[in-house]
Amino acid sequence: MPASFPELQAEAQRRWQELTAGSQPWIRVGAALCGKAAGSDAVVAALNNSLERHGVKATVSEVGCFGLCYAEPLVDVQLPGGPRVFYGNVTPEMADEIVASHVAGGQPAPALALGSLGDGPSGISSINQLPMKAKEVRIALRNAGTIDPSDIHQYIATGGYSALHKGLTQMTAADVLEQVNVSGLRGRGGAAFPTGNKWRFLAGSKAPVKYILCNCEEGDPGAFNDKGILESDPFTVVEGITLAGYATGASHGYIFIRHGHEGPVRRAQQAVRQAYDLGLLGKNILGSSFSFEMEVAFTGDSYVAGEETALMEAIEGKRSMPRFRPPFPAQSGLFAKPTNINNVKTMAYVPEVVARGGQWFAGIGHDKSTGTAILCLSGAVQYTGMVEVPLGITLKEVIYDVAGGIPSGKKLKLLQTGGPLGGVLGADKLDLKLDFDLLRAAGAILGSGGIIAADEDACVVDLTRAIIAFCQYESCGKCFPCRMGMSHLLEVLERICRLEGGPEDLALMRNIGENMQAGSLCGHGQLGFNPVSSALRYFGPEFDAHIKEHRCPTGRCREPRFSPSRSRR
Amino acid sequence: MANEITITIDGVEIKTTAGKMVLEAAIDAGIFVPYLCYHPGMKPYAACRMCVVGAERKNRDGAMQRLPGFPASCTLPVEDGMVVRSEAPDVHQLRRSVMEMLIAEHPNGCLTCHRIDICGPSDICLRHVSVNDRCVTCPKNERCEFKDTVRYLGMNLESPLNYKYRRIPLEVGDPFYDRDYNLCIVCGRCVRACQELRGDDAICFTDRSGRALVGTSFGTSLLESGCEFCGACIDVCPVGALTERSHKWEKARRVERTLCPHCPVGCQLNLEVNAQGKVIRSVPELHSPANRGQACFKGKFGLEFVHHPGRLRQPMLRRDGQLVEASWEEALEYVASRLPQYRGGAFGLLTSPNSTNEEHYLAQKFARLAMGANNVDHSSNLRPELVTGLAQSLGHAAATNSLWELEQAGCILVFNANVTEDQNVLAVPIKRAARQNAKLVVIDPREVELTRYAHLWLRPVPGAELLLLGGLLKSLLEQGLERKEWLAERCQDLDALRHALSALSLEQVAAATHVSPEAIAQAARLWGQAASAAIVYGLDNIAPELGGDCVAALSDAALLTGNVGKPGSGLYPLRPGANGQGAWDAGCVPHLLPGYRPVADAAARQSLEAIWAAPLPAAPGVGATGMLDNQQLQCLLLFGGLDQQQENEARTLAALEKLDLLVVADSFLSPAAQRAHVVLPRAVFAEKEGTFTNLERRIQKLNPVLPAAAGQAQSDGWVIAQLARRLGVQGFDHQSPAAVMNEMAQAMPIYGGISYSRLEKESSLVLRANPAAAFAGAPGLETGGLGSPKPTQVLYASREYRGIQWPCASPDSPSTPILYVQGGFPQGKARLQAPVFRAAAGRSDPAYPLQWTPGRVLLQAGRGSQVARGKVNRIQREEWVQLNPMEAQLLGVAEGDLVEVRTSAHRLSGVARLDPAVPPGVVSTTALFGQLAVDLQASEGPDPMRHTPGLSIAPAQVAKLGVASRA
Repeated sequence: MPASFPELQAEAQRRWQELTAGSQPWIRVGAALCGKAAGSDAVVAALNNSLERHGVKATVSEVGCFGLCYAEPLVDVQLPGGPRVFYGNVTPEMADEIVASHVAGGQPAPALALGSLGDGPSGISSINQLPMKAKEVRIALRNAGTIDPSDIHQYIATGGYSALHKGLTQMTAADVLEQVNVSGLRGRGGAAFPTGNKWRFLAGSKAPVKYILCNCEEGDPGAFNDKGILESDPFTVVEGITLAGYATGASHGYIFIRHGHEGPVRRAQQAVRQAYDLGLLGKNILGSSFSFEMEVAFTGDSYVAGEETALMEAIEGKRSMPRFRPPFPAQSGLFAKPTNINNVKTMAYVPEVVARGGQWFAGIGHDKSTGTAILCLSGAVQYTGMVEVPLGITLKEVIYDVAGGIPSGKKLKLLQTGGPLGGVLGADKLDLKLDFDLLRAAGAILGSGGIIAADEDACVVDLTRAIIAFCQYESCGKCFPCRMGMSHLLEVLERICRLEGGPEDLALMRNIGENMQAGSLCGHGQLGFNPVSSALRYFGPEFDAHIKEHRCPTGRCREPRFSPSRSRR
Repeated sequence: MANEITITIDGVEIKTTAGKMVLEAAIDAGIFVPYLCYHPGMKPYAACRMCVVGAERKNRDGAMQRLPGFPASCTLPVEDGMVVRSEAPDVHQLRRSVMEMLIAEHPNGCLTCHRIDICGPSDICLRHVSVNDRCVTCPKNERCEFKDTVRYLGMNLESPLNYKYRRIPLEVGDPFYDRDYNLCIVCGRCVRACQELRGDDAICFTDRSGRALVGTSFGTSLLESGCEFCGACIDVCPVGALTERSHKWEKARRVERTLCPHCPVGCQLNLEVNAQGKVIRSVPELHSPANRGQACFKGKFGLEFVHHPGRLRQPMLRRDGQLVEASWEEALEYVASRLPQYRGGAFGLLTSPNSTNEEHYLAQKFARLAMGANNVDHSSNLRPELVTGLAQSLGHAAATNSLWELEQAGCILVFNANVTEDQNVLAVPIKRAARQNAKLVVIDPREVELTRYAHLWLRPVPGAELLLLGGLLKSLLEQGLERKEWLAERCQDLDALRHALSALSLEQVAAATHVSPEAIAQAARLWGQAASAAIVYGLDNIAPELGGDCVAALSDAALLTGNVGKPGSGLYPLRPGANGQGAWDAGCVPHLLPGYRPVADAAARQSLEAIWAAPLPAAPGVGATGMLDNQQLQCLLLFGGLDQQQENEARTLAALEKLDLLVVADSFLSPAAQRAHVVLPRAVFAEKEGTFTNLERRIQKLNPVLPAAAGQAQSDGWVIAQLARRLGVQGFDHQSPAAVMNEMAQAMPIYGGISYSRLEKESSLVLRANPAAAFAGAPGLETGGLGSPKPTQVLYASREYRGIQWPCASPDSPSTPILYVQGGFPQGKARLQAPVFRAAAGRSDPAYPLQWTPGRVLLQAGRGSQVARGKVNRIQREEWVQLNPMEAQLLGVAEGDLVEVRTSAHRLSGVARLDPAVPPGVVSTTALFGQLAVDLQASEGPDPMRHTPGLSIAPAQVAKLGVASRA
C-alpha cells in the first residue's frame, strides 16, 4: 500500500534535509550529455579519488544540465546548510584542488568559482549575475542541474507532484484543462498550437482507451532541450503527462525517445518506474479513481519519426513513415485510438501551470506567446547552452546579452532558428522579439528552440547545402515529391558549391522546392524548401556570386564537400 | 440512399456516398484521375501525389472555401457540394513536376522514343535509345501503368534533371519471381499488398530518402523472408519491377475469366492468352467475391500443365498388352461394347474433383441409369465423414457461411487443416482477422503456418484430437459458456451430449492429449466468449475411425455457443480438390441422389425417376474408399485419375490391375492410366465449360479459355454422352452444359434457381475510369490517328460475377450467403451429437514406435538459415528434430545431438532439440515453405502443384547419429 501524498512529501523532505543540511557536503556534477561530452566521468572519478585521499566523506551526485553547457564539466559544492558554489570547466586536476580547499578545508576557491547560489558568506558573486543566467526565468528547467534526476524524492522535496496531488484532490479534469487553457500554453514542438485546444479534442472523445504521447524524438541539429529536460528532470515530464492524462481522460501515456539517446532513455525509464513504485502511476493514483499507465517507447534513428503520425507508426512497430490526414490523431491515432501528442517541453510546463495557475503563466511572455522559451544556443557565440528566457525578449538580447555575442570580434552573419526546416534569419533581423507569430511572419520559426549563430566566415550556400543534405538524408522515402525532390535539391546545391552551377539552377531549385512544398505529405517535404528559400531571400547576392561569377565570397567553396548522405555510408 | 451526396469534378456532377474518397468517387463515375500508388484493392496510401487535385468545399456559412494546397484525392473524403479540379493547369503542373523526377530515376527510353506512337506490339527496334532504357528490355512494356500516366500528363520529356540509372543487379534466383528494382518507382503497392492484404510482411521498404526501395528485411532471399509466393505483389506492380518469370516477355492477345482448378476456394482468374493461343499468365480477379483479387502459388504459377508436352492427345487401347493409339470412334465403340456386361454391382465410376457440376451430374446419372449401379463417387471423396456428421447435426453437408465473413469472426478455430498450402486464399481472411481483433485457436499436432498467427496453439498427441475436443466441450459447459436459451429453442439432444461428457475429466484429457487443462479452459473461453466464432476444419491425419466423431464434436461446439446462422460464425469443412462440393451436390456420391436425397429413400428415387423417366437402382453403392477393395467390382470408369493419396499405393495399383475393364480419362499418363485398358485424353479446366461450386456453396462459371488444343482431348461430359448414345440410353443428349444445368435445376431443389443466364445476370460492371473519355481531353497528347493509347489502369475495370450460393430454390430466390439464419434448420432443430470421446486405437509398430509430425511454415524467426545464392537460390540450414525431454532421455538423445528420423518412406537428419511442448511419443520437425517453392519450381512433373506434398503424420523411429559437438 503506497503512502499518502503528505507522507511521501514528509519522507522526501527528510531526505532533502539530510542532503543539503545533513552531516556531509553535497557535490553535484553536471552529467547530462553536455557534461559527459566535456569529461564529467573523469571528474567524478577524480572527485571520489580525492575525497578518499583526503579522508572526507561527501555525497557525489550526477545531476542534469544547469544550462551553462560552455562551462561543463560543472561542479557545485554545497557544505551542509551553506550556499552552492559552482566551478566551471573542471578538470580532474581542478577537482582535486576543489576537494582540498572547499570540501576538506571548508574554504571555497574563489579563483576557480563561477558563482554561488543561496545565502551564506562565501565571498563569491551570485551565479545569477552570469550573462546566461541574468535573464533567465526557470519554469520547465526549475530543477535542472539542481536535483538528482535518478531520485524522485528530490523532485517531490522541491515541490514535485504537488500539482498532481492538487489536481486529483482539489480539481476536476475540466478544471485542469481550463487552467492549461487560461495559461495560453502553446506547443513547443514547432507548430505552436494552443495546448488547451489540442487537449480539448481528446477530452471530447468518449473512447475507453486514449493515448497521450510525449515526443522526445528531437532530431533537429542544434536542438538538445528535450533531451536536456529528460536528462535533468524527467519527473516534471512524467507528472505533466499524467496531468494531461487526467485532464483529457486518457488511459495510457508514452514517452517516445530516439533509440540510442541513452541518457534520456535511462532517466525517463527510471522516473516512470519510480512513479509506479510510489503509486504516482498505475491504478488509482494517490488513492483517487484516476488510473494511468505509462511507458517509454523507441524508434530507430530517423528524423521523420518525430512527425506525429510517423511516431505513432513507430510505436506500433512499423516503419516510421507519416500517415495521411484525416483521420486526425485526436480521432484515430496510435493503434487507431484517439491520441494527443505533445512535446517534452510542453509537458514540462504543465505541473507548474497547474500548481501556480494558468493566470500566472499567462502573465509571462509576450502577446499570444505566453511563458518562456527554452533555447539551445550554439554556433558562433561566446556562451553555448540551454537557457530558459521569457518570450518577448529580442534576438539581440539573446545573442549579445545571454550568449555573450560573437567571439573573436567577428560579425554575426545569420541565425538559423527552429531546426533545419526553420530557415535562416539575416543579422538585420535581430530586433525581432521571441514570439511564435512574429518569427513566423519573418520567415523563420522558433520551432524547437534551437538557435545556431553563424559569423561572417560562414558561406550561406554551403550552409544551405549542409542543411539540405540533412533533410535529404532524413526524408523517409514515402511520398514522391520529398523522396526525390530533396535529392535533386541537394544535387543542385552541391553543384553550386563546386562553383559549377549556372543561372538556370535557381529556377530549377525553386521549381523543385515549390512543388515539394505543395505536394508533400508531411511537414518534412512541405517545409523542406524553407532553408533554401529563406537563404535566397536574405542572401541572394551570395548565391549570385557562386552562380554567375563562379566564386565564393567567403572562400569556403573551393572544392566539393562531403554531405552526410555520402559520409554516413 | 440516405447518405448520397453530390460532388463536382471538372464540372461534371457526380453522385457518390459519404465515406468515399474523391478518387474512388471519380473512378466509380468513370472519370480518370491519374494515380500510381493507389490500388483499388487496398487502402489509400497518399505517396505518389499523382492524384492531387484542387478542391473547394462549403464552410460553415455555406460559402465555398478553397482547401489549402493540393490534397491527394485518394485521401480526401467527399463532402456534399465539394468542387474538385483535376484537369486544371496548376494541378497538372504539380503532377508533371513529380513525374519529371520519376522519369529521372526510371529508365525512360520506353517513354521518350520518338516512335512511341507508331510502334506496334511486335516491332523490334533496338536503335533509338540506349540499351538499359529500351522498351523491349522491360517485361511490362505495353502494360505499364507508369507509361500510361506519363502519356496522360503529356510530359515534355526534355527535363533539366539528371537521369540516373540505379545499376542494381536483378534478383532472379528465387522461384517464380523476377525482380528488377531498377524499374521500381517505390509506390509501395507490393509492400502493402504483402502486409495489408496477405498479412505476410515478406517484403518491406529498405533504406530511405532518395535511396528508398523495396526489398526484404536484411536483404535476404524470398525463400527465408516469409514469402508464400502468392504473386499478390506482382499483380499490383504498376511497372516492370516485379514479374512472373515464365512467359515474362510475352504479350497477351486476349484475357479470359475462368476458375482455378486447384482448390475449393474457387478463385476467379483472368488467364492471359498469347497470339499462339497459349496461356501465359494468370491474374486473380479483383472483383470476385470468393478471392477478392487474391490467388496463391498454385493458381498463379501452377497452370503450366495446360500446355505440358506430356498431355495425352489421342485415345489409346491396350492391344497385346501395349497401349496403342486409336481413334475416338474405336475407343468409344470398344468401351460401349464391353460395358453392358458389367451392369449393376460390377460397375464403378469415379469422377475427378475438377470435374464440373454438370459432369458430376451426368456421371452419376450414367452410372445409375445406364449401368444400374450406385457405385459412383469422385476420387477425392476419401473422407466422406468430413461432411456427413455436419449434415446430421445441421442439415446440409456444406459450409454454413461465406469465406470472407471469417474476417469478421471474433474467434476462429482451425482444426487439423493446412490451410496455407491446401486452400491458400482461405488463410487470407483468417490471418487478417487474427491481425485485427479475432482470437485464432489452432488445434494441430503439426506446426503449420497458421500456428504462427495463433493466439493459442493446442498441440495434441496425434490420435487424441477427439479427446481434446471432448475436453473443450466439457470446459465450455463447466464454465457455463453455453447459450442456454438458444440451445433450448433451437437444438435437441443436449442431455445426451452432457451424458457423453460426464465420463470425461479434464485431467484425463490433459494426460492423454498433452494439452494442459488451463490451455483447454482458455480455448473454451476464447471460443465461448467471442461475439461470433467460426470453425475451419479438415481431417488431415485424423484416424479414420475418429473423423466422423471429430466433426460431430466440432458441430456441437458451434451449436453450444449459438455460433450457427449468423455472420462470422459457422463451420467450414475443407474438402480436397476444386469441386468436391459440386460432386456432393450433384449426387456423385454412392448414397445420395442429386440434391442430397438418400438413395435409400424410395420417395426420393421416385421423384427422380419421374424426371429421368427411367428406373433407379436401390442397392447401396460403394464409394471411393471402398470401391477398389470391393471384390465385386470388375469395371471402373475413372475420370481424372485417382486421388494423390491413393495414386501411388501399391495396394491400389494392384487392385486396378485386377480389373476386367479399366477405362481412364486423364490429361496425363498417370499411374492409373498406365494400367488401363482404354485411355481417353481428357480436357483440362481451361478447355471446358461448366460450373464449379466452391467451399462456400457458390456456384460459379468455368469458361472455356482455349479450344481443346491438346489434340483431341474431350470433357467428361462429352465422353459420357457418347457412351450413353452408343449404349442406347436416353437422357444424355443435352445441347450444351447450360442444358445440363437446366435439368439439374429441375432435379435438385437446392439448385432450383440456377441457370447460366442467371449466372451471367448476377454480375455488374465495375467501372474503373473510362479510358476513352480520359484520353480524349488529355492535354498535349497527340494520338496521331492511331487511336488513343489505352491506359493499363482499365485492367481494374471489369465485370463482377458474383455467382450464386445455394440453396436457391427458384429463379427468384436470392443467393444464400449464410445457412440456418435465425435457427432455420431443415430438420426443425439442430441435433447435438454425443460421440464416445476416445483416443484412436493405438497402432504400434515396434520398428517405428514414434509419430513424426512434419510441419511447414513460411518463416522461422531466430532459426539460423542461409541461402546459397546461385542461379537458383537454395536454403541451407540445420534441421531441428524436436523431442519431448522425457522421450529424448529414453532414446538416449541429448540436446544438440545429431539424429535421424526414419519412416518407412523418409529419412531426415537434424539436430535434436528438447522441447517440453512436444508431446511424448512424438518427433516433430518443421520445414520452410521456401524449400517447397524451390522444389515445385524445379519439378519436372507435368502438374507439380496438384501433387504438392502434404504434411502427413507417419510412424517413425529416431536414431542417434552423433553427439552434440562442443563448439
